[in-house]
Amino acid sequence: MTKVAESRSEPWSATGSMQWSAPWSALAPVAWLGVFVILPMATLLTTHVDVADATRVLSRASTRETLWFSAWQAVVSVLFTFALATPVTWLVGRHEFRGRRVLRSVASIGFLLPSIVVSAGFLALLPNDLDTSLFAVFVAHAYFNVAVVLRVVAPRLESLDTRLMWAARTLGAGPLRTVVSVWWPALRGAIVSAGAVIFIYCFSSYAVVRTLGGPSRNTLESDIAVRAYAIGDIGGAVVLSLLQTATIIGVVLLGRRVTNDADFGVRRTRVTLGRLANSRTLIARSIAIVTVAFVLAPLAALAVSSLRVGEQWSIAGWRAVFSGGVIGSTSPLQALWSSARTALVASIFGVVLAVLMSHAVTRLGTRGRRLEVFAMLPLAVSPVTLGLGLIVTFDERWYDWRGAWWFVAVVHTIVAFPLAVRVLVPSWRNVSPVLRDAAAVLGASPARRLLDIDLRLLRPAIVAAIALIGAVSLGEFGAASMLSRSGAETLPVSISRLLGRTGDVVRTQAFVLATLLVVACLAALLVIDGADWRARPSRKASRARSH
Amino acid sequence: MTMRSRRTRRFLVACAVLGVLFGCSQGATSDTSSRVTTAEQEAVTLTLLAHDSFTPTEGIFDDFTALTGITVRVVRGGDAGALVTKAVVTSGNPEGDVLWGVDNTLLSRALEADVFSPYVTVHRGDIDADAVALSPEGHVTPVDSGDVCINYDKQWFEERRITPPLTLQALTSSTYRNLLVVSSPLTSSPGLAFMLATVAEFGDEWSQWWATMRENGVLIVDSWNDAYYGHFTASSDGDRPIVVSYATSPPAEVIFADPRPSEAPTAVAALTCFRQYEFVGILRGTKYESAARQLVDFLVSRRFQEDLPLTQFVWPINRTAKVPQEFLDYSLRPENPLSIDPATIARRRAEWLDTFTEVVLR
Repeated sequence: MTKVAESRSEPWSATGSMQWSAPWSALAPVAWLGVFVILPMATLLTTHVDVADATRVLSRASTRETLWFSAWQAVVSVLFTFALATPVTWLVGRHEFRGRRVLRSVASIGFLLPSIVVSAGFLALLPNDLDTSLFAVFVAHAYFNVAVVLRVVAPRLESLDTRLMWAARTLGAGPLRTVVSVWWPALRGAIVSAGAVIFIYCFSSYAVVRTLGGPSRNTLESDIAVRAYAIGDIGGAVVLSLLQTATIIGVVLLGRRVTNDADFGVRRTRVTLGRLANSRTLIARSIAIVTVAFVLAPLAALAVSSLRVGEQWSIAGWRAVFSGGVIGSTSPLQALWSSARTALVASIFGVVLAVLMSHAVTRLGTRGRRLEVFAMLPLAVSPVTLGLGLIVTFDERWYDWRGAWWFVAVVHTIVAFPLAVRVLVPSWRNVSPVLRDAAAVLGASPARRLLDIDLRLLRPAIVAAIALIGAVSLGEFGAASMLSRSGAETLPVSISRLLGRTGDVVRTQAFVLATLLVVACLAALLVIDGADWRARPSRKASRARSH
Repeated sequence: MTMRSRRTRRFLVACAVLGVLFGCSQGATSDTSSRVTTAEQEAVTLTLLAHDSFTPTEGIFDDFTALTGITVRVVRGGDAGALVTKAVVTSGNPEGDVLWGVDNTLLSRALEADVFSPYVTVHRGDIDADAVALSPEGHVTPVDSGDVCINYDKQWFEERRITPPLTLQALTSSTYRNLLVVSSPLTSSPGLAFMLATVAEFGDEWSQWWATMRENGVLIVDSWNDAYYGHFTASSDGDRPIVVSYATSPPAEVIFADPRPSEAPTAVAALTCFRQYEFVGILRGTKYESAARQLVDFLVSRRFQEDLPLTQFVWPINRTAKVPQEFLDYSLRPENPLSIDPATIARRRAEWLDTFTEVVLR
């Protein structure tokens, strides 16, 4: 399989006219990660940790217990997520029907929301005896990560070469056989990739485990926060975060071994969505309804809470927010603008870096695969320690950037980087080099080829990457909340502050802001998915829709 | 042709977006700088580092700027614990000039790392002497205080004709089985204060009290919010009528209700209170030492102190500051709150937290 894949990819890179620029395009993103991830961690390590810290922390029994809990709850969470996401992914990935993109947008919203908002929604929704239980943790993790499966696996399903399927059927393969020999090899890469990302998110989960798991359950990440902030044991926190990084890198490498770069061997075509067969409408409807209900239930709970003051229905919260009466706060519009500005800057810089990186990843063969692992680095780093590392590194002269509003955006480009690269890599691989060579033969300049072939074909993926980075930025409450922030506070910060206060009206205001944040995220998603749809080159698909 | 014009249009839109972005941030800076230059004195902008709950009335620093020509930029960065940790790792090369919000449970950690540059405020004579005594060398200046106490749901106890618990010892009685909810001292500041209250009350026997409470069904949750709005009967559909919260929670229940009730639905057990003081300090390494001193003076002056009760629900430290009537009406101010000296807290905090984890959470 690999042999075939490589022999196929070889001639491209040999004649590939873009070859010359590949190593160079990696330069900027690698330097970016080096400066904003590796350097701060190294600085923190050399200035605040000694060997005694390492032996002390690693010899503790509770460290091993925490590691074990982080790992197994993450595995179960991945299974939960796939169980919940598979039906809707199949529906969206293989079928064309009215409302398909709306369904995809709505189902993705969980991923964008700050965990504090979702946890508040779940707390409002779950019966009291399930409030702090492992079950609640798994459900919340699935809630956040359904979008990962949907966005990573569904595109692969969309462009599956259906002729292979028909060929298999014609040759007498049963449905099971078709799944095993046609679907699985084609999807394996995407599924393992999504699984690995979800595992990493859940492994280093913090707010969800804390709020919904109860104070006696700790992941490494939540233990890191306790050490760093409650106890003031910075050395111990850094050692734990190295342990976490090592584990995550191990998982990423393992994932790559398992897939063995399955992407190369897969044949893909343009989008090949079938219309929904009549026999399946009922199934499709139930899947859509259940998914939408699952996604919207905690959000609806938030909206309901925003209309209740104590025991009564009231619009006092909304009135207070819009008359600027939120105590000690910037107005919600300012908070929204502050969030949006950061998200916009983060997506502009982030998408450029991710495009460059993914280009190098797909054009550099084996080294490219190593580069892809390197691109995952930010996922492996604990936000709490990264935040500390940044403030001890960028702390003097012209590079004293602590407290600058755009520094938060820089951190967001880092946090979102692995996701954006993951979105872009498959699309780069889909750009047939034949097209580019043809353009070269016809006399197109390299710049022209980049603009009219590569970027044009990449456009849906670029739009998706921008959306992801922006979304991550809007809801991010980890690394950046450790940084000091000046100017108007962002919505997640306002919400968490208001939730920490006594008083019915204050609390209602928190829910009003949470509702506004949900609406803003949903609006952004719909707009972006709309852009994605317009950018799609396939005429056939749009004709099918208009019927 | 149309393709090209569309591309041009898109390019223009992108430019406009970028323009707005940077234009606005530029607008913001030029706005502040003009304010500074119109002032007569040196054009200094001070950075005031604060925790996320620092929420004075907007524009309150305009008075200070008018008076001194110094502009104040408030920078928030996490809770008080995060703030102190960051101050410790940047000791000597601080992120800002003045730090607001280190409290007596965290104070010694900051003092040990030599984070502050000492200064005795001109308002020292007006400040609560107990609070000043906590930092005798003047490394920090107290700014406000509050008490963390057992709160209970009045109606719940009246309906059942049960006496509410008035002391910590009483809580171990089987009458109060499964009634108390507490936020964890590892993750919540009132939770930590309450754990210290038990240490202050029972001395070395404190962990025994928690072991008994565990038998008696105490519920530990992650955050104050979770305890108060997730489980407390007076403010949620939970089933716990006793909660650890602030002594200022009852007035907040009244002032932030719509319509306002005639009396608070909750009450405070005065003998269970642990006093928290918050401090402000000049960060060692600031370039604007004298301006920073003026800001500290402003923060303990009447003007600023009188803003505190209704924006942050804490008591002013300046005794000459007037406290609003509605705040006084519903608040309880315990006369002899429990307390522990900050140096002892610093020395034994990690050990106590480990014991707590072992006894209560495991």
